[in-house]
Order: sequence, then C-alpha cells, then structure tokens
Amino acid sequence: MVKFTKEMKEALRVPGKGGSLIYLCTSSRDGNPNIAAMRFVATHMDDKILIADMFLLKTKANIKENPEVAVTICHPLDEGRWWVFKGKAVDMEYGFPRDFDWYGANATDILNEWGNWNKAEPPDEVPPDIVFPKAVQRGVVVVHVEEAYSIEPGHVGEKVLTG
Amino acid sequence: MTVNLTDRMKAWIEAMGCHLCVATPEGVPFVVLGRYAKATASDEVAFALAQDEAKVIAPVLSENSRVAFGVSRQGGIRAAYQFKGTGELLRSGSVFDTVAAQAKEEKGIDAESVLLVRLTELYCTKPGYEAGQRLDGMTPEELDAWERQRWKDVPRKRD
Repeated sequence: MVKFTKEMKEALRVPGKGGSLIYLCTSSRDGNPNIAAMRFVATHMDDKILIADMFLLKTKANIKENPEVAVTICHPLDEGRWWVFKGKAVDMEYGFPRDFDWYGANATDILNEWGNWNKAEPPDEVPPDIVFPKAVQRGVVVVHVEEAYSIEPGHVGEKVLTG
Repeated sequence: MTVNLTDRMKAWIEAMGCHLCVATPEGVPFVVLGRYAKATASDEVAFALAQDEAKVIAPVLSENSRVAFGVSRQGGIRAAYQFKGTGELLRSGSVFDTVAAQAKEEKGIDAESVLLVRLTELYCTKPGYEAGQRLDGMTPEELDAWERQRWKDVPRKRD
C-alpha cells in the first residue's frame, strides 16, 4: 500500500486551494489512450485520488471497461509536482450500492462528501471563457493508487511511491 | 479524418510542451512530458525526448503506436484540446536532426529520440456541452473560425 506525501496531498486539490489542474489518462481495453484535464480533484485516505465525474465521455467509457489509469499534474509543474500516479479506478455513480467498496473506499462516504463538488468547491478561479455554465455531476471517480513514478527531467521513470 | 492544426494550437503546443499518453495493447497507460514540441506540418507534431523519457514509452510504442496528448501547464485549460494519432520514435534522419538540434538550442535537451506523432483525431475538451466534440474533418478555415469564436489568446514561449 502506498502512502501519499504531504506535498502530494497539497498538490492533489482543486487549483483554487493551491492544488493543481490534473490530467486523467485512461485507455480502452485494446489500448487506445485518452487524456483529459480535470479540475475537481482531492485525496482520500492515504492512497486514493478522487475526481469529479463531470462531462466525462471517453474517460468514463474507458474506466467502465478497463480500470487501469494514470493521473499526473498538468499545472503547475514548476513546484516539484513531477509525478505520475498509477492505479485502478472506478466511477462511483449515483445509484451505486451504498455499501460498495473500492479498496477500502466506501461509496456512501465518497458520495456524501464529494457528491456535490461544484457547490463545495466552486470553480471561482476558472476563466470566464472556459468555465461551464452548469455543472452536472454524475459521480466520483476513485483511483486506488498502487505506484507512482517521476517525470522530472533527469529522473523520469524513477519510482516515487511503491506498494 | 484529417487534422488541421490552427496557428493558435501550434503556438500553445510549442510554447508549453505536452503531456504524452501511450498505452500497452492491454490498456495500461503511461505518461511522459514532451517538453520540446514542434509542429512539423498541419497534422504532425514532433517531440524531443531525453533518454529517460524515451525509455518509459519506447517499449509501449513498440507494441502499440497510438498516442494521445494534451498541452501542458496552462494549456491544459487554455488550449482545451485532445490530440490523437500514431507515434513513431525517430533516432536518425532529417526530422530527428532538426528537432533535436532545436531542442538542444532552445531548451538544453539532449534528445535521444524524437517522437513524431501523425495526427488523426482532434477533440475539444472545454468543460461543458462541447466536451468531447470531434473537430477533425473540419477544413482549416472552418476550424480556424470555430476557434476564433471562442479564444484568441496565444502564449509567450517558455525558456
């Protein structure tokens, strides 16, 4: 089991709270990669990354057929946030059995705390020509992180977290 | 489909670099940074990769050439696109020589290889109703007009 560092937990929050814009990388079961930027991000326990299911299309389809994902920091990169987190993801949608468990993360706990994310952490820092007029959240993607490697120039591929 | 990068897209790609995503044939994704990027044609982008960067993705690309990338840094939100295509790792030839030399001069990168991505798909990733909209297949004029209705900002090139 991995354990996020303090710096990782600080980075894996919404940008408006000093966190980061992240990239969520998924793949179809036959290896067609997909990369999409996400704003609503948090950590849960010591090894889970949470991402709001808003506007997910291919990402959602990929996770439903293949749980293998990678999460990395898109911006800012110049604060030592050179990490790629790898693990297995599930999209805990509304309607999931409330006792559903994903590597120790409980659906009731997740949806109660992060199920209305736009209200809890509104996207005040997002530019007006980018921000969405109405957020419709369908669930929370829970990534169980199993390892992480560096993408810092000169250290790319080095393990920074191992299970 | 045909991808026709706009001048603004090229500017963001080249100014910020990109996050490059590949996946094994079984669907395990890997990511590295393409810190130096050069649009070599309206449907091609080349990335200079240092040895450690190439080492992460070369084994994957040898089995599955599909590549997806998004613009790094502020480009993740300001240049809200996903680019997809097929990638080839070059270690010699005119494209390698040109891009590697430029990467060394502009960013001090010792390129072990150059990833040349031939684009086949382009998607809008702006959050909201346009998320996932497919943009390849538009003519250069149509795509330019589509983008100009939304954004005109072009970033300064990073050191």
